[in-house]
Amino acid sequence: MEIVSARNLTFTYAGSRRPAIEGVNFSVRQGEFVVLTGPSGCGKTTLARCLNALIPSFYQGELSGSLSVLNKDISNSSTSELSRKVGFVFQNPENQLFSLSVERDVAFGPENLGLPREETKRRVDWAMRLTGIDGLREAAPYELSGGQQQRAAIASVLAMRPEIMVLDEPTSFLDPLSASQILEAIANLRQEIGITIVLIEHRLDLASKYANRILIMDKGRIILEGPPSEVYSEEVRLMGKPLLLNTSTACSNRRKVKLLLMVYLRRRLR
Amino acid sequence: MLSIRMFEGFKFKQRKTPIHRLDPRPKFMIALTIFALSLIFANVMVFLLLFLAQLPLVCISRSVRRWLGSIKGGAILAAMIFVMNFLTGSTLVFSATMTLRFLVLVSAFSLFFMTTSPDDLGLALEKARVPYTLSFTFTMAVRLVPTIALEAQTIIDAQRSRGLEMERGNLIQRIRNYIPILIPLIVSAIRRSTELAEALESRAFGVTKDRESLVELRMKLSDYATVIIALAVLAIGIYVQLLITLPSLDTGIKMPALWKF
Repeated sequence: MEIVSARNLTFTYAGSRRPAIEGVNFSVRQGEFVVLTGPSGCGKTTLARCLNALIPSFYQGELSGSLSVLNKDISNSSTSELSRKVGFVFQNPENQLFSLSVERDVAFGPENLGLPREETKRRVDWAMRLTGIDGLREAAPYELSGGQQQRAAIASVLAMRPEIMVLDEPTSFLDPLSASQILEAIANLRQEIGITIVLIEHRLDLASKYANRILIMDKGRIILEGPPSEVYSEEVRLMGKPLLLNTSTACSNRRKVKLLLMVYLRRRLR
Repeated sequence: MLSIRMFEGFKFKQRKTPIHRLDPRPKFMIALTIFALSLIFANVMVFLLLFLAQLPLVCISRSVRRWLGSIKGGAILAAMIFVMNFLTGSTLVFSATMTLRFLVLVSAFSLFFMTTSPDDLGLALEKARVPYTLSFTFTMAVRLVPTIALEAQTIIDAQRSRGLEMERGNLIQRIRNYIPILIPLIVSAIRRSTELAEALESRAFGVTKDRESLVELRMKLSDYATVIIALAVLAIGIYVQLLITLPSLDTGIKMPALWKF
């Protein structure tokens, strides 16, 4: 079942001439793990902001085309209403934790939804257990490591019981080990509670093994889409490297990812 | 950054002590009582007593070092108060009284803020019918102080490593040295506020008016006892001030008049 579907989605930020995303068509099925990637400034974050209606309710600009998320059109829903359905984890964990203890922070979302105290308590316990931060109830955000902070951020989104979780580069402030642990935790979540995941990520080497599908964006458009193995060999072919094409069927995923990263670097240098 | 270090003594730190466990309302009551007493009295003995009476509380809350820090931070201002009073013709004892009054207040409020979680303070404000958006703004501001202080330090280090000399030149030059610190700090604070607003929106901020918070403030027996003790001390203070004349210790020592206004 498709729970997200975009038709010809285009958005131009106020005061900018070029659209940040242009003619984007894509869909996400329930329970999928989708990784969205591409060079910096390609429109990934803009697309993510559309998914929980930060665009157009928070950011001014011109929106055309349509995007429906769980049967709601984003152009007439507000982010705070949509937050019951779509959780959003941001890049910088420090700017999404509001309280001085992890427990109260995880409770913040359910409190805002006006849930009774008992239910809030249950959800906080549940979310902290799932993300493995049960021992950090009383800790203050600034006492935590980056990985723990990001877990706390994920737990606080999870406590609102969203159906879709959008994560905008959740590992970019983390060291490689914490990054791989966070991605593993996200993948486990999907297995345990069947939540749909849209993950924006540069660390393809770590993220690809969990993904059902990879979307690659460039200059505001989705240029490639498909399961990881296909996307990577396709990309290599597109770049016109017959030598690499030969290896693409035989080599391991790890190698393919390396090749893809090389292709990225080439493109960025150009 | 002297100013940032001075606030250290007003920063909350989680500890498990009887003082930390007290409800914020009776704790505020203690601070208010001390505040009221230092307004109605002008006797050096009383201030000495008020000052000494806080020492056991500071010890129980296991925050002696940070308390000393805030006293030290206040010491410069205290010294100024003393000198100004003395130079403008007050007696030695009166100047000392004014200085002590200041230190008593600094100590009382530092003790309050050191031992009261801003989250609890927010809850107390909510209980006092302050609108949630307002009490949240307050909690958020307190929560961001350490973050912004850390950021300021990073910017200072960055600008220094590019050759900015903070401690150079006369007073005006030194103030101007802060411009390359302040501008990035303000820009990043604005950027941070946008991100915070985004995150707040995504966490259903303001969806419903009747939110029920996870932790509920409840007055325990010890809290009621604290309120009663504070009120009793205040009552005794008022009684003493109105009906008993305390011996004045003023020796009448003054600066010889150097100038006339």
